Amino acid sequence: MLPNESVRRVLDAGLANGADLAEVYLENKESLSLILDEGRLEKATQGNDIGGGVRVFYGNNAAYAYTDDLTEESLVEAAGVAAAAGQNANNAAVCADLTKGESPVESRIERPFEEMSTQEKAGILREMDEVTRQHSPHIVSVQCGYTETRRRVWVYNTEGVWAEDDRAFIEFQGQVAAQKGEVRTSSMTGIGGQIGLEFFDDRDPVGMMPEAADTALLMLDARPAPAGEMPVVINNGWGGVLFHEACGHCMEADFITKGASAYTGLVGEKVGPDFLTAYDDGTIPGRRGTMRFDDEGAPTNRTVLIENGILKEYMWDLTEARRAGRASTGNGRRQSFRDMPMPRMTNTYIDAGPHDPEEIIGSVKKGLYAKRLGGGQVEIGRGDYVFTITEGWLIEDGKLTAPVRGATLVGNGPETLRLIDMIGTDMSLDPGRGMCGKGQWARVSVGQPTVRVPKLTVGGTE
Amino acid sequence: MDYLEFAKDVVSRAVERGVEAEAYISVGQNTSVNVDRGEVEKLSQAGSKGLGVRVVRDGKMGYAYTSDFGAGSIEKTIEAAVSLADVADGDEYRSLPAPQPLPEDDLEVYDQAIVELPIGRKVEMARRIEKGALRYDQRVVLTNRCTLISQYGTVAVANSKGVAGSYDKSFIGGFVMAMAADEDDRSVAYGFDFGSRLGDFKPTEVGKDAARKAVGMLGGKPVPTQRASVVYSPMAATSVLGALSRALGADAMQRNRSFLEGKIGETVAADMVTVLDNGRLPGGIATRPFDDEGIPTAATRLIDEGVLQTALYDHYTATRDGTASSTGNANRRSHSTMPTLDASNFYFQPGQETPEDVIGGVEQGLYVESVMNTASINPISGDYSISAKGYWIENGELSHPVNEVTIALPMQELLHNVKAVGNDLTFVPMMGALGSPTIRVDGVMIGGV
Repeated sequence: MLPNESVRRVLDAGLANGADLAEVYLENKESLSLILDEGRLEKATQGNDIGGGVRVFYGNNAAYAYTDDLTEESLVEAAGVAAAAGQNANNAAVCADLTKGESPVESRIERPFEEMSTQEKAGILREMDEVTRQHSPHIVSVQCGYTETRRRVWVYNTEGVWAEDDRAFIEFQGQVAAQKGEVRTSSMTGIGGQIGLEFFDDRDPVGMMPEAADTALLMLDARPAPAGEMPVVINNGWGGVLFHEACGHCMEADFITKGASAYTGLVGEKVGPDFLTAYDDGTIPGRRGTMRFDDEGAPTNRTVLIENGILKEYMWDLTEARRAGRASTGNGRRQSFRDMPMPRMTNTYIDAGPHDPEEIIGSVKKGLYAKRLGGGQVEIGRGDYVFTITEGWLIEDGKLTAPVRGATLVGNGPETLRLIDMIGTDMSLDPGRGMCGKGQWARVSVGQPTVRVPKLTVGGTE
Repeated sequence: MDYLEFAKDVVSRAVERGVEAEAYISVGQNTSVNVDRGEVEKLSQAGSKGLGVRVVRDGKMGYAYTSDFGAGSIEKTIEAAVSLADVADGDEYRSLPAPQPLPEDDLEVYDQAIVELPIGRKVEMARRIEKGALRYDQRVVLTNRCTLISQYGTVAVANSKGVAGSYDKSFIGGFVMAMAADEDDRSVAYGFDFGSRLGDFKPTEVGKDAARKAVGMLGGKPVPTQRASVVYSPMAATSVLGALSRALGADAMQRNRSFLEGKIGETVAADMVTVLDNGRLPGGIATRPFDDEGIPTAATRLIDEGVLQTALYDHYTATRDGTASSTGNANRRSHSTMPTLDASNFYFQPGQETPEDVIGGVEQGLYVESVMNTASINPISGDYSISAKGYWIENGELSHPVNEVTIALPMQELLHNVKAVGNDLTFVPMMGALGSPTIRVDGVMIGGV
């Protein structure tokens, strides 16, 4: 992108006012998005977003300036704006030699996006649409989308960090609406990952559509969900969004170091059952949260968050790691060069446990099975969470008896984690649709085996 | 640089390729200041710019964008839009709008005082937000993400039918999370305020508001599961409006994706419910002289005393309808997205009662101060189930705090069950520009213990 001598001059400009660390982040993002609606390829968008930012640290405080003009001159000017925030600082930091970083993740895009025409990509959307419409006469609306993004990033800092990452990302989304008389329902699905066109070797965007349609159709005749406390069994895969929302966010270091998280000070303490182990792993090939380096140039990691019920580690970015006098775990992410990094999850999951998934459902006398979940939200300070069940089933005497619609789960994350009393052997990661919002958007993956919580509040209408 | 002239120039270059063309330019300056215990923890400053080019040929549309205004990049962007239009499928209703006369009223969306605000004053305002929270009550133990944001910039839109306009816009806002704690409990709450005018922005109040909510919720507990009356604070009531605005979009209506489809002319809500969308509300967050495809914004009465009157339209959905005209609701999040249909300042018309009177009318029920997961409310099915926090109402007065409960009722019933509408219309910018007074809804299912 820029020659290293230019980068050095930008970094030096960042240090000019007595800062103790300066960082340069450069980004080139190219995207293509296609939306098929009512069987027509209606919206086709392509674009390029290029820019860079300079961050300057004075102790625990940081100033940032960015530009969409990637010349040395503009970046030096940005560095000057950021450096000017320092007052009476006189650190004698100098720029170390830049050394190209190594990552546990191999960088390889086996088949670049250009190997397939836009028309061919649109053809897959057409197939998704047709398969869904043919599925049932009650399907009244189908919307399908394709997004590909190639995001190249370069990160340098005055401690010698030099990291390059080339991230290819593919995603297919589908939304289906069904109608019978006055009753309308809808269902959403998605599949994607950090991967090139080799995506198609083992993933099937067309195949996910009938399943999504089935959920919408099933909900047409579903009865309203019950309200109140009851045992809840949560499906594997995307069900891991529960752990992501309810607990994962409370283990991100920015809330931890402030003392603003329910998990502050609990490393080494028991926070869940003995058979619960959970990871944040940015190195799993092809997943949404996978990167070679994070957006601060730290190699990604497999971080053990909880081991046998004991809290082991939080997720750190550079800012919080500096504050705590330790190393980053490779969780510093930013939406774009316009944003400052913060600690974010990558691919976060609960590992397999000892229980047979069928026995878990079989163990519930009267409760709810959350087969498909929608999105959720958490209030990080206290850990109170909520999320939506898009396909729920009543469990009666250990059997799934009737589908229910309109259910929500609420609870407190740390409390729910302690309550979990069964974890299945059937761990799986979600197919790839997770978008996490924390002021900035980040693509993430979640996962878990089938999990039972003996007592959760369900928010239905009956 | 004259951005309108630049936009016109891009249009004339694109037209050479035999297409209808539109250029949208957005240029701005952004500052964000984050303070922690009085110290500037994070400070970000920069200018940004972007161009989006939309072309239509034979009803087929293509879109491309760039942040590089160099001649080579502009050519490349136009070329990309034209080749995407070739791939797209045509539609007889797809075209670009013709110009309409723009009213010249002062919409108060630009304040020179925000542009001239020195960085030191911004830092000081961020500190005032934090102090407002920390000094409110000794149980407020910390703040987090205490942030001040200021922005100003220019938007220009031009198309090959003769649409040409530009305007300046400014914005200032702040938010903070306050955490309160006592021996038995901790609780957190957010305070925020955003606006177009510096004079309306009250940083200390942002902090106080977060602190008041956090302290009030200490010791909150779920209540038993029951059906009861719910009084929504203006902020909580916007949970209803967000999904309602999507269901009222003509695109949702035309494409079988709205629980209100086919109901124009019918009674869809209690007679005290009137819903408006006004893109020309002076000083409003979503106020602007014309929408993102250049059509003048307007005030639209969507539900009048319970009767559904019309939908929200952009140029495409109005053309497709045949008899409707655009209500000026084409919107883009940035230059990188093509316009989509969206509400502007969208709100429940206030009534006569004070909020105290609305609460006073309920013997037993839930006062909802804040809600979570409103994005899950389904404008297609009308399914509405979200989490809520607030206070239990006992004989018309707020008593103990309540948390970890859900409130649920299908939107179709919820709108009919509105039993009181307060006089305290308040806009909640965090969720778009949705506004509501305090409202009472009966027969809501509360999920608790």
